[in-house]
Order: sequence, then structure tokens, then C-alpha cells
Amino acid sequence: MTVWPEERLVTADDFNTVDMTINVGPQHPATHGVFRMVLTVDGEMVVDCEPYIGYLHRGLEKLTENHDYRQSMGWWDRTDYLAGMACEMAYCMAVEKLGQFEVPERAEYIRVMMVELSRILSHLMFFGAFGADVGSFGTSFIYAWRERERIYDFFEEVSGDRMFPTYFRPGGLQMDLPENYEDRVRWLLGSIRQGLEDFDGLLTGNEIFVERCRGLSPVTQEQAIDWGLSGACLRSTGLPYDIRKVEPYSIYDRLKFDIPVGKTGDIFDRFIVRMAEAWQSTKIIEQCLDQMPKGLVLNPDLPKTLRIESGECYVRTEGTKGEYGVYAMAKGGNKPYRMKLRSPSFCNLSALKQMVVGHYVADAIIILGSLDIVLGEVDK
Amino acid sequence: MTNETAPAYPGVSALVHKHLPKVPFTADKTLTDANITVEPAHLLELMQGLKERRELAFDYLRNMVGIDMQEEGLVCKYQLHSMKHRHSIQVTVHTPPGNPHIPSITGLYAAADWHEREAAEMLGLVFDGHPNLKNLLLDEDVRIHPLLKAHPLQKMEIAQGIEDRDPGFKF
Repeated sequence: MTVWPEERLVTADDFNTVDMTINVGPQHPATHGVFRMVLTVDGEMVVDCEPYIGYLHRGLEKLTENHDYRQSMGWWDRTDYLAGMACEMAYCMAVEKLGQFEVPERAEYIRVMMVELSRILSHLMFFGAFGADVGSFGTSFIYAWRERERIYDFFEEVSGDRMFPTYFRPGGLQMDLPENYEDRVRWLLGSIRQGLEDFDGLLTGNEIFVERCRGLSPVTQEQAIDWGLSGACLRSTGLPYDIRKVEPYSIYDRLKFDIPVGKTGDIFDRFIVRMAEAWQSTKIIEQCLDQMPKGLVLNPDLPKTLRIESGECYVRTEGTKGEYGVYAMAKGGNKPYRMKLRSPSFCNLSALKQMVVGHYVADAIIILGSLDIVLGEVDK
Repeated sequence: MTNETAPAYPGVSALVHKHLPKVPFTADKTLTDANITVEPAHLLELMQGLKERRELAFDYLRNMVGIDMQEEGLVCKYQLHSMKHRHSIQVTVHTPPGNPHIPSITGLYAAADWHEREAAEMLGLVFDGHPNLKNLLLDEDVRIHPLLKAHPLQKMEIAQGIEDRDPGFKF
């Protein structure tokens, strides 16, 4: 019988592991843009996460301070580049609030219609990219692309550009809708509904997808509020906080729609809330088409150069990712003194560390995907 | 005739004055919210009261803005919202020129972390008590504050000699 010397006995120290550092990004398909995070992993568990942002920083706020109110339109729709119309709306509302400019009623209806189309578009991209994250490689992306391109065709028709329309103006819109546009939007809605049905069939009822997402990274209501989450991430915890209902702006108080909420705040809830929201948006667009009056789309009383004496405001809108707010301050002249973007992706992403610590590396990718960030908006 | 001893506070600031009578502040209004202005020394006391008093319950930090007011020093503004009572308020803190120190509120609102880091790098504000005041959007070792009014817009052009203004800092 062999007797092992004392020092050869296997002790607990022999099983000690060393923490490893994994760098994800900035060029990585799972980070949805130029985003980098450094994960410290113990085996497969994430024990620390350090996000690095700013790769797409373009100095939006500095540029806006140095340009005319109308010139700045061009880069505000490049913040959330999946929903340019929604960003333009927030920027225009901030300028209109500062200068007390009136907007014609028809323009308000067209604006809301365009913003809701953007919301559907942005959520479609989320379903597509998120499906790719969880493993439905390609299929969900192609499904998303089909409806997305149809909506972009409609944007191109009114403004001449697909992603960065620059269609809104302080005081209204660049131009009226083309001939026969409303009827064709109704046709588009049918197409969108079919697309959402397809997504329902592909993802919502898919057992693999549901098992992958349900119960993963649940967030409580108190945590979500403390971390400053907004949009679908906040509503998935069961809190019906939507600026369109809480502090109605534009014509949202005249429209009938529901605020879908989740229960547990897990990843599946974030998905299903967005799915329900896209359906609600189709209802809003339909009502806009029904109620849309005839008339002007741009306030004719505005001067060529907008000059605003003084004032400050914090205008908040429900962007596609959450609360898209614009703080604006004027001190005379044709430029704002200070403009600050409260970007929902930025605030949602700041909670990433708290969300991924304690989960597997593979889940960290899904948690990041479920936040639905757009790096153009994070980095400003 | 107006009663000068009891100033009329607009909107929700009257509620704040009622429940936090010890904190000195002045109140006015922006185009969207009620605004209260405090000294940096009283900021933490005020924020704690705003968050923890049940009648106020401002539990959601929506936004934070840093502004360069040139001769009047740097200014920091916090936009708060109450999920329970559905009211909003803006809190303004003025720092004296040359002394941009503000107590950090990350202990009260976790959401303030990145907002404060952004304001610190963009304007040179110093948030005392912040656990990790590194650069966020800019490069880690860059020590410029682009949102200061003294910072020129086109620094690359100045470096290349296309613009001839003094950049005001060294690369």
C-alpha cells in the first residue's frame, strides 16, 4: 500500500481558480455597435463588468451650441439612428417650448404618425437583433428587415432619406405628405401587422427562446427606479410609466392606447412589452389617419432665423428606447446657450454592471441585447 | 399689497418648503418645471429630504445637466421625478468660479453615476465622494473640458493651423 506524503494530499487550494479578463468589443457583433465591456470571469460566471463607451462620441451638444436652431436638426436624428423621427420630434419640441412657437394641428398628427412608425421600426430591429443574440441566427433578422425596409420607403418618400430624414422643422414639418399617402399607410399597417404576427410565431411561442429568456436577470421596481431605467426596461417591472400617458405631449391625450407592462422585469418581459407596444403603435397610427385634419404643416409666422430671448426647459418625450429628454437653455441670439440630451440608452446602459454580475458569460450578451441600446444615442 | 414674509412658491416648491423648512433655498420656475436653487453645502441634505420624505418621494433621477455660466461659475441641474406622486422638480446648484466642487449624490441615486462622470469630464466639475470619477465619453487620459465656453469648437483645425485662434490648452 502506497502512503502519500502529507504534501501530496489534495487540498482545497488545488481547486482554486484564477479570475480571467475577457474583452468584448468594441468591434463585436453582440455589442450592437462600437461598445466595449471588460468582463472579469470566474469560470463561466461574471464577477465584474466594466463598460467603456464613447467610441462614437461626436460632440453633439457642443455642435448644437455653435449652430443655428435650424441647422442642428441634421445631427439630432443621428442620435437614435434607428428612429430618427422620434429624436427630431424631441429636439423640435424643445425649440418650440423655448420660443413659444405654435405648431399647426395637421403637423402634430403627421409627427405622431411618423414617430409611431419609427417606434415600430426600432422595435422590429430589436426583435431581429435580439433573436440573433439568443441563437435564431439570421431568420429573425431577415423577418425584421422586410417590414423595416417598407417603412423606410415611406420615410424616403416624404423626406428623401431613409434613416436620417430631417423631416421635422421647429414649428412644423418640411413639407406636406405626398398624394395618396394616407391610404398607402393603411396598406402598410396591414403589412406591419403581418410582420408582427410572424415574429409572434417565430419567437414568442418558441420554447427554446422562452426557456432561454424567462427568469433571467429579473429587475425589481425599486432597482429599476434607482438605476434610472426607462422605457420597456422600466415598464417590464410592472410600472406603467410612459411619458405619453404620464405627461401627455403633442396630441397623445386625444388618442386611445394602452401601456403594456410586464410582471417580473426579466428578459422575456422586456421582449413581450416591446411586442405589445408595437401593436399599440399600429392602433395609434390608425387613429391619427382617421382624425388627421387638413391644413398647413408649417407655422407661416416664423421668421427665417429663429431668435429666442431667454428661458430654460426640460422637454421629455417617450422615445423608442425610453425617456428621451432634451434640456435646453437660451440666452438670446440664434443659437441655444446649452442643449443636453438625456438619452435613454445611456441611462439604461449605466445599469449594465449591476445586471450582468452573477450571470453566465453567454447570458451577459443577452442581457446587453435586451436593453436595446443604440450607440449613437449613448455616445452623443 | 403683497406679504413679503411669506414668498409664494410656484408649483411643487411650496410642498418642498412645507416639508423641508430647514433647508434654505430660493424657488422660481422654468418653462416646464418648478426650480429650486440651493448652495452646494445644502445639496445632500435637500436631496435626502426630497427622496426620503413620503410626501415628496422624488425617487427617480431623470437627468442631470452641467452648464458653464462663464463669469458666474459652473452650474449643475438635477431633474427629479416622483413615481408615486407624479410630480417633477428641478434642483439647481451654483458653484463659485474657480471652485467647482459639488457633493456627489451617487449614494442616494445610483443613476447619478454616469451623469456625474459625464459632467466631470465635459465641464471640469468635481463631485466629492464619487467612487470612480474617470473619463466616460472622452479618452481616458485626455484632460480637456470641451463643453466649457472657452473651449473652441474646432480644435483639430487649430492644431493643423487652419484656424488661428489660441486653443487655450496643450495637446
